[in-house]
Amino acid sequence: MNDLDRTIHEPARLRIVTILSGVDVADFSFLLETLGLTKGNLSSHMDRLEKAGYVEVIKSFKGKIPHTQFRLTKAGQDALAEYWAGLDQIRALRDKTGEQ
Amino acid sequence: MSQLPETHGDPRQIAKWAERYARSRTLPFLVQWVFIVVLVVVIGALAYVTLLAYKTHRQTLLWICMAAVAAVTVVLTWFSSSRWGGELIWRISQRLYGKEGYAEYSGGERAEAIRRAWWIRLVALGLAVYHLGLALLVGLHYLSVEYLQPWSALYMAPFLMLMVVTQRLGFWAWVWPGLYALHAVAILMGAPHFRGQWFALDVLVPIFGYGLISIIVGHFYSRYALRRLKALARAGIKDDRGDSGVPTE
Repeated sequence: MNDLDRTIHEPARLRIVTILSGVDVADFSFLLETLGLTKGNLSSHMDRLEKAGYVEVIKSFKGKIPHTQFRLTKAGQDALAEYWAGLDQIRALRDKTGEQ
Repeated sequence: MSQLPETHGDPRQIAKWAERYARSRTLPFLVQWVFIVVLVVVIGALAYVTLLAYKTHRQTLLWICMAAVAAVTVVLTWFSSSRWGGELIWRISQRLYGKEGYAEYSGGERAEAIRRAWWIRLVALGLAVYHLGLALLVGLHYLSVEYLQPWSALYMAPFLMLMVVTQRLGFWAWVWPGLYALHAVAILMGAPHFRGQWFALDVLVPIFGYGLISIIVGHFYSRYALRRLKALARAGIKDDRGDSGVPTE
């Protein structure tokens, strides 16, 4: 059995990628407000996810106002699906050994 | 691997509630609704004054009113289709949402391709042509003005349903065509409605009224979805130390 992806396994990052898997894009403020993290903390998580290639940063302008949004990449979607599959396997194994 | 995420329910539910929230963000529709209603009311008022000017043979006023109606119609069309109009609506909506931020759900590439399809534009054009045809037939007394709204509902209700499906809107959007169709049935069954010179309100009031109800339903649902999302997303995040929360072997 493979180890779970540590980049995603961290609780805050798991929630970030799970939120992003349910939407097309979300901005920094939305993630900040929804997760209740500090700005620095969220920035560090987004940086880590971007470096892993799981999250794409989209910078644009609405009029003259800069707007930064995040989107889960295909690699991020695959990693999350693999993570849930791995987690289900571990849980099934735990339940099985628990029964014995 | 010694530690599994604390579940507090299935964390996969986070994705579901994030999607439901994003699909129910209706404040941009509300802003658009306000702009369009204001412009439609202005056009209606100008059309009324134009009619009065025509009946009282006041030529100068008649020409001024006709030019104003044309100008406001151009503004309405431009506002509805221009990038500037879209950005203005976005900015106002974001101000209304405040620090809540922005999340979007558009249904992915397939839904985007459907939205850009030529036949969608054709169906939308058909809506305008159909209603102009209705107005013409009512004006020429081929159709009874009494049943203007039910005739309108024959195209409008399926059109709105198609929009709900292709735009991948939330359940709230079904309220609009549903109520519009029920309104038509009520008129056919003899329910009271606008008559005489106010006949156009028979179509306008249900279109904008049920649209507003639908938007409000969506907004309240988005509040509920956001509360559920926050509860799920914040549960189980134990540390506030950035990268230090990775469980160890």
